[in-house]
Amino acid sequence: MGKKGKYSFYVEDKALEVTERPRRFLEAFAAVLEHSNYGLPLEVYTRLSTKCSRCAASCQLYQTTGEDRDIPCHRSELLLKIFRRYFTKSGLLKARVFGGFTLTDEYLDELGEAVYRCTACRRCKSTCPMGIDHGLVTHLARWLLSEIDVVPKALLVATRVQLEGVGNTSAIPVPALKDTCEFLEEEFQDIYNRDDIKFPMDVEGAEYVFFPAVSDYLLEPDTLMGNAAVMHVTGGSWTIGTGNYDGINYGLFYSDRMMERIVKNVVAEVRRLGGKKILVGECGHATRSAWFASTFCGPDAPEVVNCLQYAWDQLRAGNIPLKEERIEERVTYHDPCNIARAGRITEEPREILNAICTDFVEMTPNRTENYCCGGGGGTVSIDEIRAFRTGLMGKRKAEQIRATGAKYLVSPCANCKKQLKEVCEDNGLDEVEVVGLHDLLLKVIDFDIGRSATDSKDAQAHAAKTEEGEGT
Amino acid sequence: MEFWLAWARGPAFLFAFSFMLLGLTRLVALTAWETARAMRRAGNKTLPYRQVLTATLKWLLPFGKLKDRLLLSLTSLTFHIAILIVPVFLAGHIALWARGLGISWPAIPNPLADVLTIVAIIMAVALVIQRAAARPTRALSRFQDYAIPLVVAVPFVSGFLAMHPLASPFSYEATLFVHVMSANLVFVLIPITKLSHMVLIPGVQLVSEVAWHWPPDAGSKVAVALGKENEPI
Repeated sequence: MGKKGKYSFYVEDKALEVTERPRRFLEAFAAVLEHSNYGLPLEVYTRLSTKCSRCAASCQLYQTTGEDRDIPCHRSELLLKIFRRYFTKSGLLKARVFGGFTLTDEYLDELGEAVYRCTACRRCKSTCPMGIDHGLVTHLARWLLSEIDVVPKALLVATRVQLEGVGNTSAIPVPALKDTCEFLEEEFQDIYNRDDIKFPMDVEGAEYVFFPAVSDYLLEPDTLMGNAAVMHVTGGSWTIGTGNYDGINYGLFYSDRMMERIVKNVVAEVRRLGGKKILVGECGHATRSAWFASTFCGPDAPEVVNCLQYAWDQLRAGNIPLKEERIEERVTYHDPCNIARAGRITEEPREILNAICTDFVEMTPNRTENYCCGGGGGTVSIDEIRAFRTGLMGKRKAEQIRATGAKYLVSPCANCKKQLKEVCEDNGLDEVEVVGLHDLLLKVIDFDIGRSATDSKDAQAHAAKTEEGEGT
Repeated sequence: MEFWLAWARGPAFLFAFSFMLLGLTRLVALTAWETARAMRRAGNKTLPYRQVLTATLKWLLPFGKLKDRLLLSLTSLTFHIAILIVPVFLAGHIALWARGLGISWPAIPNPLADVLTIVAIIMAVALVIQRAAARPTRALSRFQDYAIPLVVAVPFVSGFLAMHPLASPFSYEATLFVHVMSANLVFVLIPITKLSHMVLIPGVQLVSEVAWHWPPDAGSKVAVALGKENEPI
């Protein structure tokens, strides 16, 4: 068991040794400013910040707590103040003449607590007249803090297992992975009477190398079966690499240094197999991290495709045969921040849902304006702050879900799903079932028409007809 | 007094206005240079230009953004419109430019300028009151956040009195001196305070986007700089 010390989350023992932390923090800050591009936004933000507090109104945490420390701009100012004091000429001059602010251990503790009271959902960015990306500031502050060991133990340990241990964040060894996949193949046999739907392993030269959130192998069999079913009926060339089968990247949540290593490992596995593209499973942050592949590995890094994009392209092309019956229970959709906030993946899942459901309702607000599930930025993995996540952070989301009256709450993201299940449990939404999008898709795929992707003109006609019928 | 007025309108104005122009030019050049440098270093050189442009335009013409906090937004927008139009398009100011540099442009009628001046003053005070009245802004505000709108309002108050000497309790020269010197103060403050947003706003959405475009090996280089390249996690 870890220690909490001064934080609400567990940290490793060394985080509580306070020898020269301010000095080490500033050294890390200086190194990051020299080698990264963060100096530019900090320079501009310190000049511009007008303290108008428009961001407060947009933050789901502030809406619930009303605490000053939960105003996004207040949180960003914690880091901007350090930057202004130690890394701008006017700040250095002011300090020399007037004294004033000095970085202390207590201040770093306050910063450490503050940046993990934020899910880095970036909703506030669109409400800032000055265009300040508070999510970026939180992201950077977390990296700097991790260099003085202030990082939630849950994130650190998972990354350690991934980079220095078993090779993935859930510590699933290859034999267990193979067992799981064989079990899922048997499920296809038992439930759908199909023995030809496979989870191909280490196929060289496959077009798509599959990286789901590795926890799906433990927690989300239906999502994975949906992925496999879609790949099967569309005749997609795909494989799971036994060298690396984990799309999770906690580096995005606490350290660019770790993020770089994890992304490079993903790209290395694709290259080992001679694959062409990274196919990311239903996971928001895994997708956003993978989009950084060209950042870390150059312009010839493999293309990144999210499984929703793949599924919609195939459905639109008539390659996914659907049964006559549709999902009739009310369905709503939660936009994972990491794929929706910048508007990159918002329409594909809706098109699919409209094609397979008869009663799809939107939450408001939605798409780029959605509220975070409350467990973003890695906080969902920190079990000891569950009450905070589902209570203060999740309250707004729970209200949104309740207002839709939906039976199925669809979210194509492993993080969001875990968090939303807990939000529903803790907020009395017992009738809501949290599912992935491929879970629903699996229910309506017609395997009998789609014997294979090549033979069935019927399938195409059928899918085209049903699509027309749904008026999508 | 006449000597001081001439000094304020002459050397002091020249200094303040040049300070502003050079300061803003320096800021724009530095930001543009740093942005270009960041993109040169970035591993991924593609940018979502359309998205950046849309966000920029939405905030430069923020009519679609009013509804979030209606009263504050309307106050702020009206304030900005008034303080931009009056100093630039006042007939008296244009006459000075014509006399000094021989350039001129169309002016707004003086009665309209009067109305906008009063609007600017009321909105400046309203901004400060709203800042003090709302809990989140009060929690965030520094001294300069209260002071700047009031400092900006001084040239408008004194300018109004100078335009209406009969209504003014002060001597015309003294009023004009305060008007010119307070404007000079604002010019000096513009490049060194948050007022610099007047030139930085068009670029900030781009900056925020570029900020996510990292150099490919920033992480490993930081590790080396901190002597952590072989340190276990």
